[in-house]
Amino acid sequence: MTSQSTVSVGSKASASDRDPRPVTFRIARFTPRPQSERPVRTNPFAKSNPFATTGSRRGRGRRWTQEYTIHIAPQRTVLDALLQIKREVDPTLNFRYSCGHGMCGSDAVLINGRPDLLCTATIANCLSASETMPKAYATPGIVNGSPQVQQPPAFRRTGTATTTTATPSSALHSDSGIDSRTIGPKATDPSGASDHTETTNHKASTHLTKTSDSNKSSVVEIRPLPGFTPLRDLIVDTDTMFEQIRRFKPYLLHDDSFAESNHNRCESDQQQMHDSAQDPLAKATSQAAQTKAANAEPASEYRQTPEELARYELLSTCIACGLCQGACPIYAGGEAFAGPAAMIAAARFINDSRDSHRQERLEAIDQVDGIQACQSIRACTRPCPRGIDVGEEMWKLVEAVKE
Amino acid sequence: MNTLILQQLTLTLRTTKGESWRQRTITKDHAMTGNHPGFGVVVKRITYEPGIARVTSQRGDLTIGGHLAARNPPDDLINLLGEGKLSHKTHSARVNRHRPDGAPLSIGRDSIVVMNPQKVRNRYDAVIVGAGAAGLSTALGLYRALENKNSKSGLSPKVLVVSKLQPLRSHTGSAEGGIAASLGNQEKDDWHWHYYDTVKGSDWLADQDAVRILAEQAPGIIVELEHDGVAFSRTEDGHIAQRKFGGHTADYGGHPVRRAAYAADRIGHQILHALWQQCLRHGVEFAEEWYVTDLVVDPPTDDESGGHARGLIVLDTHVGELQAIQADNIVLCTGGAGRLFHTTSNSWDLTGDGMALALQAGLQLEDVEFIQFHPTGLGHTGILLSEASRAEGGVLRNSQGRAFMQDYAPGHGDLAARDVVSRSIMAEIDAGRGVADPSDPAGPHDCVWLDLTGIDSQRMATLLPQVTETIHRYAHLDPTVDMVPVKPTAHYTMGGIPITDRGRVYRWQDGRRRVVDGLYAAGECSCVSVHGANRLGGNSLLDACLFGTRTGQAIAAVMANAGKPNDMADASALTHALQKRQAFMDELLSGASKTDPSEPALANDLDEASDPDDSASPNNPYALMGQLGRLMEEAVAVRCNQSSIEKGLHGLDQLDADAKQLRAHSGTAVLNQEVTAIMEVDNLLILARAVLNASLKRQESRGALYRSDYPQRDDERYLAHTMIDAKEVVSWQPVHIVDMPPEGRNY
Repeated sequence: MTSQSTVSVGSKASASDRDPRPVTFRIARFTPRPQSERPVRTNPFAKSNPFATTGSRRGRGRRWTQEYTIHIAPQRTVLDALLQIKREVDPTLNFRYSCGHGMCGSDAVLINGRPDLLCTATIANCLSASETMPKAYATPGIVNGSPQVQQPPAFRRTGTATTTTATPSSALHSDSGIDSRTIGPKATDPSGASDHTETTNHKASTHLTKTSDSNKSSVVEIRPLPGFTPLRDLIVDTDTMFEQIRRFKPYLLHDDSFAESNHNRCESDQQQMHDSAQDPLAKATSQAAQTKAANAEPASEYRQTPEELARYELLSTCIACGLCQGACPIYAGGEAFAGPAAMIAAARFINDSRDSHRQERLEAIDQVDGIQACQSIRACTRPCPRGIDVGEEMWKLVEAVKE
Repeated sequence: MNTLILQQLTLTLRTTKGESWRQRTITKDHAMTGNHPGFGVVVKRITYEPGIARVTSQRGDLTIGGHLAARNPPDDLINLLGEGKLSHKTHSARVNRHRPDGAPLSIGRDSIVVMNPQKVRNRYDAVIVGAGAAGLSTALGLYRALENKNSKSGLSPKVLVVSKLQPLRSHTGSAEGGIAASLGNQEKDDWHWHYYDTVKGSDWLADQDAVRILAEQAPGIIVELEHDGVAFSRTEDGHIAQRKFGGHTADYGGHPVRRAAYAADRIGHQILHALWQQCLRHGVEFAEEWYVTDLVVDPPTDDESGGHARGLIVLDTHVGELQAIQADNIVLCTGGAGRLFHTTSNSWDLTGDGMALALQAGLQLEDVEFIQFHPTGLGHTGILLSEASRAEGGVLRNSQGRAFMQDYAPGHGDLAARDVVSRSIMAEIDAGRGVADPSDPAGPHDCVWLDLTGIDSQRMATLLPQVTETIHRYAHLDPTVDMVPVKPTAHYTMGGIPITDRGRVYRWQDGRRRVVDGLYAAGECSCVSVHGANRLGGNSLLDACLFGTRTGQAIAAVMANAGKPNDMADASALTHALQKRQAFMDELLSGASKTDPSEPALANDLDEASDPDDSASPNNPYALMGQLGRLMEEAVAVRCNQSSIEKGLHGLDQLDADAKQLRAHSGTAVLNQEVTAIMEVDNLLILARAVLNASLKRQESRGALYRSDYPQRDDERYLAHTMIDAKEVVSWQPVHIVDMPPEGRNY
């Protein structure tokens, strides 16, 4: 086991990150109560409420914080650690994961108060951001290519330094829906229906507490992504996000017959110098229209220059992981604001020269809960795993809508 | 005034039991925005327009007429909706009322897609299992073909796409390099060359009639994908850009040709998202995070047919309940089985579910012994470094710094076919010229170097952003100055469920193909046999999109001709399967219910955790999956021989016994990943046995299968497809040789 005092700065620190050492993972857990166990009368509205009967997917259940201490090299990812926990300690821990290298976007959570993907956040990365760690761990450059390390955390830490964490962290739980839901059921069924919160120190972790008890303990705290309804442990309901994305028709609409005029209009909107006579698209689309009329396979691609591609290429790399939504203080469940992910999805087509409906798309997002709700806080930019400057893109949308 | 005042509201509700619908009208009441989980509903969004409010909840949409004044109300929407007196069984509520005139965005088709439908309808015209490139292409092919026909017949098909992941999480999104098609955008190309390269790459095991379709129709598919919105990289004049790829040649084996259409190094992501987007446009219905546990196929009734697919048993993981789905047409698009191996580029979800379903339903698999190992997996993570990294100038070097590929494949070097490169790497490692992964310097010397330092850093950032990022993030190295450790990683299953070139699953029996009615497959889980013994780069996305589309079209044709819903099919087999699976589930969950459902039961095992290699915790599906991965790696990864295979089979017996003991540690069925994992382990084990037995039976070396005890290709005996079933009965189906008689395969 590497003593922390030997850790030095820079690349040597990263070399020591290769040695496994005990790291504690403090994980917010939630087991929904199975439908069959729930008394019918628990909910005062259950009898008359058509929605209430299907409530087992949300809300009630058991909620607690659990700590696991395992041996792992800090350069490994948090996903590696959670999988190791599943394999060796507790197979009941539930969290989404799939590709394991930041492409599928399924494993967005809140790590030490910051929205992040399990598979791209390294443990060293998380620890270096922790205030409880020695200074050396906060040195920039420990992890190559991770700009996140060098910025101050945007989210308040939720009690990592203390050992009695359950209550404060649960109080800070950012899903307002959960906090507000206790109105009826609490009174009738306090033991099960209320927020049953406790800390379960993992039994097996006790023999390692020698190294993890002190304030130098390496603790990584993981919670469900804020702004989403937790369904079980770290798994949240992402339907809201996808519904909001879908709302702005996130698909290419290349209108063959109107393509030419519309394209020209778009171009003039953007003060581009394209002359319509030289417009390669017009020719391509008329060809496509002809072949489509013949009900044959499309004969030719829509033309697009590398410059036109560059205008939306980065936007098209969005993996809909939801980190920007989790970071956005306005989003909070999609009710006041459709959310940055939906805006990015819209922007991707607004900026695609092949799309014939730029104007309608701009009008569609120009709503109270659309781009108008964005207040340029730009918290959405930092967590983006694809490097999209979400805040800047949102600002561009604001300006485009104004025009 | 903080209330939303409703004039009138009609609720339409559907119950679990029957198909009966109830309507309920509510007048003049109050509502509020916000989440109300305590009441069993989450009101996700309320939007206002003059006179109209629209409410989105997790149960469906609700459009409410009336006038409203402001928000931040004191009252409660649920309270008001509570007028409807409904039984506890109410399962799905969709609320409709006066749809406002014109959606906010009045373009395209405005379709209702329920993202996570609580299904009550259990009979479908078609059910597609899997939502990657193949599944989504099938759905689109089906919808588009029906639309063309719809103008005449007015069919309203019931189609459902079931997937264990949200579609955008599918592993298609990780494909990096490109999709092959002889567009000839940057230099002269010809589909005949593509045809030849694919057949040669397959080591002459591909069915040439199928490859012909693949190569000839590829350009049309690429253009269609582009029209669907794929952000292809472009040439200066606006055409789709293409790059060189291993095994792509001009003039039947001549110089390398630019055939792989690409989108930087994230073509899979682009295709997956574009297909999903178009599915939204067409109103495809998805059931997300549903896991298919059983496929029910009636056995053949006569000498002609191959049986009849009746339906599926599915687990809705969100409610933790099983249900049976009857379907006239079932399509399996579940992807590959890379998780058979410890080091794999595949996602954690690629557990060969579709192939195992077919085996368990009594069907055969074709050529499952051929598993491609991608030569450049990053160190021990197995994460793929695209072939593009070598196409753009990366060089493989051994511990002495020698660019050894020139010794093994003169003329092709680092861009030789994948199996050749993988075997060459293993040969270097076996000869003691391997290197250790720098992240584990004391570990085995089972990697070689990938040298990208010769690529201009600007160029690397433009063309290989994904590769660069992966190396940074997971190896903590800078590829512009550091050598990168790579190791062959399990990448693609060439074999799979045998299908015709229209996607129809068949049995090989009595020397002919007997089609299974109502059953289709597409993509990596299937084997139309365009890849034979080894797949060429860029052909997997093409296979999935092209044969997926064809399958969808084939089903549309069947549906158009079917006319009336077919005869009252006997559902007893389906009911029986459901009961059986329910008993299985109950047993899995019963063990845990006595104890606190959330209390981990393996607490005492952490004592062993200090030794990470000894992860043999009993009763843990994740640990068991790890053991299986190591077993398969020793038995058949990259190379094998009779004794390694037999040792693997022996070890499999023990794992089978262990798997039977698996029980869930939490009794809560809702989103219980361990339950799914246990079923995935079962699938992997049944598939592993088929892979090992097929490898044992094929006493030759061909393509991706290298048997050190039979190092030569043997066309006399084995120019044939292995057809293996769950009973380990192997039969041989002759290869379709149409245009190109087998030759040597030298790279």
